[in-house]
Amino acid sequence: MNIILLLIPISMVLLGVGIWAFFWAVNHAQFDDLDTPSLTPLSEDRPAAPDAEEP
Amino acid sequence: MNAQACFHCGEANPDSAPILARVQGRQHAVCCPGCKAAAEWIETLGLADYYRLRSEPAQRHDGVADHAAWDRPALARLHVRSTSADRAEVIVLVDGLRCSACAWLIERALRGIDGVLDVGVNALARRVSLEFDPRRIKLSSLLAALSRLGYVPHPLTAGMIDSQRQRESRAALKRLVVAGLGTMQAMMMAVALYAGVFDGIDPAVREFFRWIGFLVATPVVLYSAQPFFRGAVREWRARRLSMDTPVALAVALIYLASMLNVFVGSHEIYFDSVSMFVLFLLLGRHLAMRARHRAGDVVDALSRLQPVLAERREAAGYTTIAVHELEAGDIVRVGSGAAIPADGELLGPRCRIDESLLSGESTPIAREPGQALIAGSLVMDGPIEVVVHRIGADTVLAGIVRMVTRAASERPALARLADARAARFVVRVLAATLITALAWAWFDPGRALPAALAVLVVSCPCAFALAVPSALTRAVAVLAQRGVLVVDADALEALARADRFIFDKTGTLTEPSFERARIEVIRGSLEQALGIAAALEQSNSHPLGLALRRAGASAPPKTATALRHVQGAGVEGDIDGIRYRLGRADFSLHAPGADTVHDDALVLADTDGVIARFPPSEQLRPAAAALIRSLGDAGIKCEILSGDRAARVARIAGLLAIDEFTAAASPADKLARLAVLRAQGHVVAMVGDGINDAPVLAAADVAIAIGEGSAMAHAASGILLASSRLESLLEARHVAAEMLVRLKQNLNWALAYNLSAVPLAALGFVPPWLAAIGMSASSIVVILNSLRIGRHATASPDAPRPVSEAVA
Repeated sequence: MNIILLLIPISMVLLGVGIWAFFWAVNHAQFDDLDTPSLTPLSEDRPAAPDAEEP
Repeated sequence: MNAQACFHCGEANPDSAPILARVQGRQHAVCCPGCKAAAEWIETLGLADYYRLRSEPAQRHDGVADHAAWDRPALARLHVRSTSADRAEVIVLVDGLRCSACAWLIERALRGIDGVLDVGVNALARRVSLEFDPRRIKLSSLLAALSRLGYVPHPLTAGMIDSQRQRESRAALKRLVVAGLGTMQAMMMAVALYAGVFDGIDPAVREFFRWIGFLVATPVVLYSAQPFFRGAVREWRARRLSMDTPVALAVALIYLASMLNVFVGSHEIYFDSVSMFVLFLLLGRHLAMRARHRAGDVVDALSRLQPVLAERREAAGYTTIAVHELEAGDIVRVGSGAAIPADGELLGPRCRIDESLLSGESTPIAREPGQALIAGSLVMDGPIEVVVHRIGADTVLAGIVRMVTRAASERPALARLADARAARFVVRVLAATLITALAWAWFDPGRALPAALAVLVVSCPCAFALAVPSALTRAVAVLAQRGVLVVDADALEALARADRFIFDKTGTLTEPSFERARIEVIRGSLEQALGIAAALEQSNSHPLGLALRRAGASAPPKTATALRHVQGAGVEGDIDGIRYRLGRADFSLHAPGADTVHDDALVLADTDGVIARFPPSEQLRPAAAALIRSLGDAGIKCEILSGDRAARVARIAGLLAIDEFTAAASPADKLARLAVLRAQGHVVAMVGDGINDAPVLAAADVAIAIGEGSAMAHAASGILLASSRLESLLEARHVAAEMLVRLKQNLNWALAYNLSAVPLAALGFVPPWLAAIGMSASSIVVILNSLRIGRHATASPDAPRPVSEAVA
């Protein structure tokens, strides 16, 4: 049974990592618009690396 | 791209003396000097790759507008946010920003300008955020740069920028997820502890679980529940009690008591209950917030209708100023196709005005000098002069915006009622808790805390707090799946209770159609004309466009390129190298303002003149008869309120067996009719397509708009039939009625449960673990009951299933 004394703290740490990742995603606008990004694959590609084409 | 089309914008080039622009070492024909300037400017910036990268032609360039007025301090104050002396920020809505190549072009071009610190382009929102040094460059130069590229910039005022909204929704989402994850963990620990009570548990493991429970509930209480604490403190400072007060008290009490018990190492802990409580409350608030934000988008769109600049007549001629600098009595000039900046009176000359903003009627209305004009409406043939009467917040447009804003910011009345009930309930529970604790402290101090906590937990107002939002949310979700969007949750209750349905005729009960027999073909064959017309309308979602596509479905298919829609006039495009125009007669024949015959026929023309005329007629929507019959069977009276001519309204009313109808009704007449019905105690549902309707829809108990109508109606309506299937209205009514039933059951259940459980807990018969289970179970019963909404097929049998629409 003592194994749960180790496993539960590990799961808590994983939970913390998960929440950190979620906060990161929210702060980086991943959840601001849940409707339109699904359409972007259907539109034209973004121009590829314009920097490379400059003299 | 063919040689006849402009290299920059894709429009037809003039036949005489081609204008040439030099781009990447080659001469390209363009249509006008404006496009030449734009193309060559893009070339000098070294950005000619744009022409290779873009997916759509640029907007036609009609010369660079004068942006100097934007430097006036009064205007700049509203739009530019200064972060420091050498840093200012402005957000610009850019018309004509169509694809990611545009975003690339704008970003590149603006970054190259001296004084620009940062450029962010969002192609989806069509917004450009600019940071610049106001000492080195003026806002007007930035806007001029944008318009030289061929775009039309509209700086946004602080109120239109949704950064605050974004912050709010991000914070709410984080709080919700933390509460959700915390609740899951706390429940896991709690279940282990409950099981331990029955099956035995090692005391060390038990202690460990209790500490873990404390650990996972802490962020839920300290982070996720913050809005409740803040709200309670704010209200308390104002010496008021709100829903937040008992919630904050309960959360704090349960949490502190459990924490104490963890430290002491005895008695029950309720971290699962407190987390779940917070989670459910946050869930309800999150849904309410999303609805509010969605409505905010509509307000933004409405606010943009009003222009920000006006040309005022002064002694020395016309000066461009900001609209809010106008005063009553000023005389302003409004050009053709421009929006009127303020409510006022037409000075002259006589003209035609598109008032679709207010009336929804897209046919322009003739106005004589002396007649009233409304801010935001479009001048079809100008320039005209207007005497300003009312500006800013006093205009009709501002009134509509206010109306929509108010509707959006109010919580549904049902939810408010339930909140008030829950709040009263919690106050009583707190009193009962106190009495229990005091009484037990008198008889048996050792049992005071467990008994008081049992009362607090067994009576957890979850069931009350959830009764209404869970039923509302479920009903809204069920309807959304069936193509019915509920904008205002109150509308559902009103829909269930409505005993009068009022229909607008055009676009609601009927839809436009084109009868082949009535189409006048002047040149070529009927099939050819229909094919061209259908191709030109291929991307138009206006009811007339759809009708034309249906009529032309049998004709040989053609493809139109370089399509351009002109608001309120028509569409033009190339088919097999020939430029066609389709729309109102004056538009199609390139004769703006010409007094051509004014009927509502669409005219198809090329450069040589008229090809065909399409007079529209109307036909009954497929489900209209069934809908009216079903409503009649349910004991509901239907009536028609239409702005159309009496004969036509009577014919439709006859076909549908509706005996009450009012024809040739102005919006004021319609409002009066609604007021009469409501004064008689009827609950009135108004169904319209938004044409003529925005204010009328807002005045009804429940407003229902049919999907294809103008965006305005959506703003004023509580329910939107997105699929434009009339029969979905019947389903919506069934679901709304079912929701009311479930909602009442929920409230009764919560009341019955609490009335029986609280006395038992106060007498000490309920151990806290059972109290916690009872509380969770009572909430689950409420949720399950709400989930039953929409489980049974609710469409009545005589409503035919939708005929699948043939959409090209």
